[in-house]
Amino acid sequence: MSSMNKRATAENRFDFWEKRRGRIFSRRGGWIIGEAIYNCGYSMMDDLVGKASFFQVLVLNVTGRLPERRLADWLEAVYICMSWPDARIWCNQIGSLAGTMRASCVAAVCAGVQATDSPLYGVAPLRAGTHFIVEALALKKQGLTAEDIVERQCRRPGSKPTIVGYARPVATGDERVVALERVTAELGYERGEHLSLAFDIDAVLHERYGERMNIVGYVTGFMSDLGFSVEEICRIFTTVVNSGVHACYAEAAEQPPESFFPLRCEDIDYQGHPPRPVPDPDRGKEP
Amino acid sequence: MTDKTKAPKVERRQVKYASRTPTRIWQEEPTADNPYLPARCRCHGYDLFELMAKRRFADVLFLLFNGELPTADQADLLEALMIACINPGPRHPATRAAMNAGVGKTYAVHILPIALSVMGGQHLGGGEVEETMRFLRRSLRRDAAACAQELLAEAKRPAEGDWHIAPGFGSRFGGIDPLPNQMAGLFHQQPASGAALAWGAAFAEALAPHNLGWLLPGVAAAVLCDLGFHPRAGSGLFQIFTAPGLLAHGLELANKPITAMPFLDKEHYVIDEQARNRRK
Repeated sequence: MSSMNKRATAENRFDFWEKRRGRIFSRRGGWIIGEAIYNCGYSMMDDLVGKASFFQVLVLNVTGRLPERRLADWLEAVYICMSWPDARIWCNQIGSLAGTMRASCVAAVCAGVQATDSPLYGVAPLRAGTHFIVEALALKKQGLTAEDIVERQCRRPGSKPTIVGYARPVATGDERVVALERVTAELGYERGEHLSLAFDIDAVLHERYGERMNIVGYVTGFMSDLGFSVEEICRIFTTVVNSGVHACYAEAAEQPPESFFPLRCEDIDYQGHPPRPVPDPDRGKEP
Repeated sequence: MTDKTKAPKVERRQVKYASRTPTRIWQEEPTADNPYLPARCRCHGYDLFELMAKRRFADVLFLLFNGELPTADQADLLEALMIACINPGPRHPATRAAMNAGVGKTYAVHILPIALSVMGGQHLGGGEVEETMRFLRRSLRRDAAACAQELLAEAKRPAEGDWHIAPGFGSRFGGIDPLPNQMAGLFHQQPASGAALAWGAAFAEALAPHNLGWLLPGVAAAVLCDLGFHPRAGSGLFQIFTAPGLLAHGLELANKPITAMPFLDKEHYVIDEQARNRRK
């Protein structure tokens, strides 16, 4: 290979990075000083402030699409459903613990929100829940019934199925589904095919196993009916527990430090190795 | 809504929760007159003060996660890895997050959590360490070169950007990252090195003709596997190892003016036309 060719090949290798070096490219928008702050084709100060709600702009920022106002109202209802002032809930207790340690509110809420990045509760189940209902609808279109779909989720014949979006860790039943269903109707939404199937699955689970659809099942069915992708759904609900963490932080921060749920030494159940002497480092090495 | 869904009965599950949180790691013995204050702490049975007197930091770190003290060879390898990872460097996205926080006068106490959140990423971060550890554990019984050939045949090189053909292995900025490969070679020669480093070396060798090699998370993962750490610990340990450099760079910018870092002008912050066209 000639030296010129070698140089050309090397330049091609770095083209991808060189084009981006020292520059930021945005399809979403930004601030042109003295002109406007652009966001997905809107001027934020002219077109959005005072005209669109916070949740409309949140969806715009996540998806690049400005939704209708009633969807923003519906999303706000979900955020209220998911933010309780109960310091036993894991993410909320992190807020309380941050408050009692006099961490800043910003740190507390960020930490609480981060805790919901969990497959057990919070935001991550939305991913699995959306995958499930989208795949379930595809199966239904292939001719399977809700009963068949539920049965496929059983690890072995006759066992209880585990389906994200149905059943909850601490309680059975979910009062938030009823509340959201009311909001959905008030806002004039029709039940689409994903959510209808979710209710069919709920009925099967209720009859056979005494389990009910939870808020994840409801939200993922509703959002899938509106055409949101898995990633979009997860991103829209990233901070869904935020105000519950706030409540728990505020309450603990207003009490004396380290007074939230204090533990005696004996309140921890030590199950480890009994006391033993520390051996000297081997090979005679000094630490 | 059916009648059944109108009023679901919400009841606490009949699940027994522990009355006390268990731990096998740490024992605290209270003082005689205050049940909240520990007079003595033990880590897996070893008195903290005795550990302070006799052992180095890497020993106790190893003990915390593995339940037993390391051999001197294991501690040497762990400490060498900790030094290798101590600073991802000023161009790493996690370091730049720390620097942004620093120059933005974010309270110093937040700099590390901010940077570590970025360092938790699946690409070159803690997330990739954990994935690599799982990949290595799955792959160790296979022939490394054959595994590489199989992946090369099956996987498709992305049209743009880098290619991580397997977690912990791939290209960086279009080439083989020399330092992780050099580090892996060094660690592989250490007495505590084991099957994961050996397998990774063979795998990287098979990938080299394709301009792919060890990445830093891959090296960290192989060392942690050989030292007996669980993959779940890998992501957090990598965050711990990189934390000093992240914090140092963040703090370095904290007492500098906000002009000490670039704030691009409009020629260099390029807004796509579609974002500027007003929608009515």
